[in-house]
Amino acid sequence: MSKRVLDYNLNRPFSSSGISLSFIFKDTVLVFSVLTVLVFGLFMLYSASGQSESMVIRQSVYVVLGFMGMLFIAQINPNSYQNILMNLYWIGLIMLIYVLIFPDDSHVTKRWIDLGLFSFQPSEVIRLILPLSVAAFLTRKELKPKYSDWFISLAAILLVSFLIYKQPDLGTSLIVFTSGFLPVFLTGFPLIFIFFGIAFLGALSPIIFSALSAYQQQRILTLFDPNADPLGTGWNIAQSKTAIGSGGFFGKGYLSGTQSQLDFIPESHSDFIFAVIAEELGLIGISILFLAYALIIYRIFSIAYGSETIFGRLASASIGFIFLIFILINVSMVVGIIPVVGVPLPLVSQGGTSLATHLLAFGFVLSVKRKSGW
Amino acid sequence: MFKISDLQSQEASLRGLKARSRIILFFLIIISLAGVIQIVKLTVIDQENYVTESEKNRIIRVPVYPARGLIGLAKDNKLLVENIVAQQLTINSKSTTDIASTIVDIQKTIGIPEEVVRTFYKVLSSNPRNRNITLMDDLTEEQVAKYLVNKERWPSSNLEAYLKRYVIDNSLFSHVVGYTGAISSQEREDDEEYRYAINSRLGKSGIEKTFENELRGKVGYRTVEVDVHGKEVRELDKVLPSKAKNIFLSLDQELQELARKGLRGRKGAVVAIDPNNGLVKVLVSSPDFNPNIFNETAKGNLRSLSSDTNAPFFNRAISGNYPPASTLKPFLGLLGLESEIISWNTEIKDEGFFQIQDEGRKYRGWKEEGHGIVDLNKAIIESSDVYFYELASKTTVDQIHSFLKLFGFGQKTGIQLTAEEEGVLPSRNWKLGRTGDSWFVGDTINLGIGQGYITTTPLQLAVAVSVLATRGKAYKPNIVEKVNTTFIEPELLYQIEIKEERNWKKLEESMISVIRSWNGTAHNIYNPEDFLIAGKTGTAQIKSLTEENLTVQEEYENVRKDIKKRDHAIFVGYGPVPNPNLTVVVVVENGESGSAVAAPIAKLIIDRYQKLQESDV
Repeated sequence: MSKRVLDYNLNRPFSSSGISLSFIFKDTVLVFSVLTVLVFGLFMLYSASGQSESMVIRQSVYVVLGFMGMLFIAQINPNSYQNILMNLYWIGLIMLIYVLIFPDDSHVTKRWIDLGLFSFQPSEVIRLILPLSVAAFLTRKELKPKYSDWFISLAAILLVSFLIYKQPDLGTSLIVFTSGFLPVFLTGFPLIFIFFGIAFLGALSPIIFSALSAYQQQRILTLFDPNADPLGTGWNIAQSKTAIGSGGFFGKGYLSGTQSQLDFIPESHSDFIFAVIAEELGLIGISILFLAYALIIYRIFSIAYGSETIFGRLASASIGFIFLIFILINVSMVVGIIPVVGVPLPLVSQGGTSLATHLLAFGFVLSVKRKSGW
Repeated sequence: MFKISDLQSQEASLRGLKARSRIILFFLIIISLAGVIQIVKLTVIDQENYVTESEKNRIIRVPVYPARGLIGLAKDNKLLVENIVAQQLTINSKSTTDIASTIVDIQKTIGIPEEVVRTFYKVLSSNPRNRNITLMDDLTEEQVAKYLVNKERWPSSNLEAYLKRYVIDNSLFSHVVGYTGAISSQEREDDEEYRYAINSRLGKSGIEKTFENELRGKVGYRTVEVDVHGKEVRELDKVLPSKAKNIFLSLDQELQELARKGLRGRKGAVVAIDPNNGLVKVLVSSPDFNPNIFNETAKGNLRSLSSDTNAPFFNRAISGNYPPASTLKPFLGLLGLESEIISWNTEIKDEGFFQIQDEGRKYRGWKEEGHGIVDLNKAIIESSDVYFYELASKTTVDQIHSFLKLFGFGQKTGIQLTAEEEGVLPSRNWKLGRTGDSWFVGDTINLGIGQGYITTTPLQLAVAVSVLATRGKAYKPNIVEKVNTTFIEPELLYQIEIKEERNWKKLEESMISVIRSWNGTAHNIYNPEDFLIAGKTGTAQIKSLTEENLTVQEEYENVRKDIKKRDHAIFVGYGPVPNPNLTVVVVVENGESGSAVAAPIAKLIIDRYQKLQESDV
């Protein structure tokens, strides 16, 4: 491994003015798109937090650290991550078991680990670590995975999903399962199994629904009739829709969203920050954000498809999909077409764990770019 | 560096990956489309709805209520009812997750009666989204202090100053000013102009009710922006409320006190009006109540008064129906003269009873042995029943009905107070409708002495007697002399014309003699040094005396054992003659003697009024 890193360092191209920006950034479009979204996110966070400077400063620290981490990771040969990523699974598993055994009293669900200086949510980390671990595991040999590899992966994914479901957090559990399943699917897992699996789940769905806890059932039911419970779960969705709708095409102006500034939007700084953006910046603001997201995703897939190693390709594509899926889930939730689940808007919502893991993942994608640049 | 086979397998895996990616992308694009459609629907198609929604969210209209108008006396602008600052404890139903534990804690700490808490929960359950709900009104200084020391423990509670209605003279004017009460849910539903707040108090009786519009004033409002907690962020617009009007009554405090003292808590009423303009100078109903108990949070006092069998909330002066008894005789005498059934010289022999036919029922007079030879003058002075039995027997109920109607009997006077009764001026139809029986001659005979079906309120009687005092002019009784600074004009209802104008004077002389003459029924109040007073006593029977084998006195001795069956004492009068300025009606329930019980109160009031008039000039 150390020899490869050395290889890589020896072959760094130099420019006359020293190390060029494009060399550090690897993919200038991707890095600048990410940077744009990050800065945009900080501005929106300022508005959404009720103009709380301390919250923005705290988030900025994560942004800077995450961004630097991303650039650092980008400089290293991606293949050197393969073993680490595979083993990260075990660390994730231990963290999940830890939060189940030693729940944090300050939160309703057992999702947090307190490290003194800062606390973080293992499930936020897991949903990026898991697909990367699975991708690393499936591509540890340069061959098409065997059935045994897929089923070992599935077992590992189900175990993690189950632990998160026990927190209890059904939404995240489903999301983690989906992200873990992505590399399995992408490596050509036979479709017939998937059809059987879906048919099986469909048959079982009434039983599963009755096994859900009351608040999970309520969340699902509220989706079908948000007005049924205007001050409960549905109230959040109704207020969020009101914010987005009243923003209209041009928005009400930065810091001028009445729904946002007067606290009508629940969790406006975290999961519902999209509603704030829509209210204040309107359809135009959303479109710009989506454009930046689209660029990021486009660049990730370009890098993925250009990768020489199956591992780099699979892991990058998984990251691209997960990023897209997170955006879709968050936006769909905020606009009220899926139930409320705890998924932040990537790179924008307040929360260091999610921000950092995404940036580090992008760092990995950037490192893949280097290989293809050869 | 790579083998060819490696490259081939690379190619294959890349193709596989791309194929699988396309499948995922296909699904994700479908989901994205749903999201895009929803976003466009929200921001473009339904935008206007959502703009309205968000405005409704943040902009609320806060009504601004003017302080309630004051009630006072026109004389010296003396205040009767004012607003004083008090403290109330409110609970925000939205911001507290556990109201119950907060309430229990507050209750224990500052001491709140259990029933107050129960009322609070009732209000809370009927207004779940209301923001501040009053837990307790009118805190004592001690309660305020205890609250302030501990208030950090109850973040959802709030101490608010408010204006409390306060009646200064407690009971003295209770039946006139009435009282305010919390707005009922029905009243709030009917209130489409949002003139009242959830915790508004509005007039429930008396002047407080009849002049509710003036006393309330016109509500203003502030348009404010609020946050999700209902906290005001800034003011957008403001329309000031218009000031409420103050009401000044024509009553005289000293005379009120005198009348109240005179009744000594017995059931009854005193009404005094100025016959020349209808201004009410005295309106006392006894027993009375302290209107301030309606503003207490604890309802104990109120409940005990409500269950009082003497009905202290019942305004006898305008709602009490009493037989006018002998006080009706001057009016019937005038009827006799007008219809030329009798003249002043018509004489009858009063032997103590009257019979329609020789063998018929005996209608007995109050004096067993009779009054001897009686003309109209003597019949009024000595209150001969037999004379008026005979007069009535010669008239018909129709005649009596239409004549007494002229004086306002059987009709509301229209005084601006609540719950006025109209009394009963019977007619053939009335009796048929009420009892199903046709009218009997005997009914007319009873009517002749103001008994039987006829009833009247003390105020009605005062209006009728005032017509005698003014020789035919009937003014609408008016208890509000001015609103703010505008005086209310006296309202002449009608003027009665009689054939012989001098009959007014002769009737007045007979009524003066009731007091001045040695044989007058109210001679006991005569004082040669005082002003002349024209009057008439009455003793209204509760139970008719019919046993012919007993004398009237003997039979009544049995009846009066039950206090509630004792006769009502009535006196009507006006003075000074000439130029009367006050008509007084006194009714003392079960007081037995119009002359001994009721007349002295009336005399005191008329005399005192003259002294007050002199000192004013």
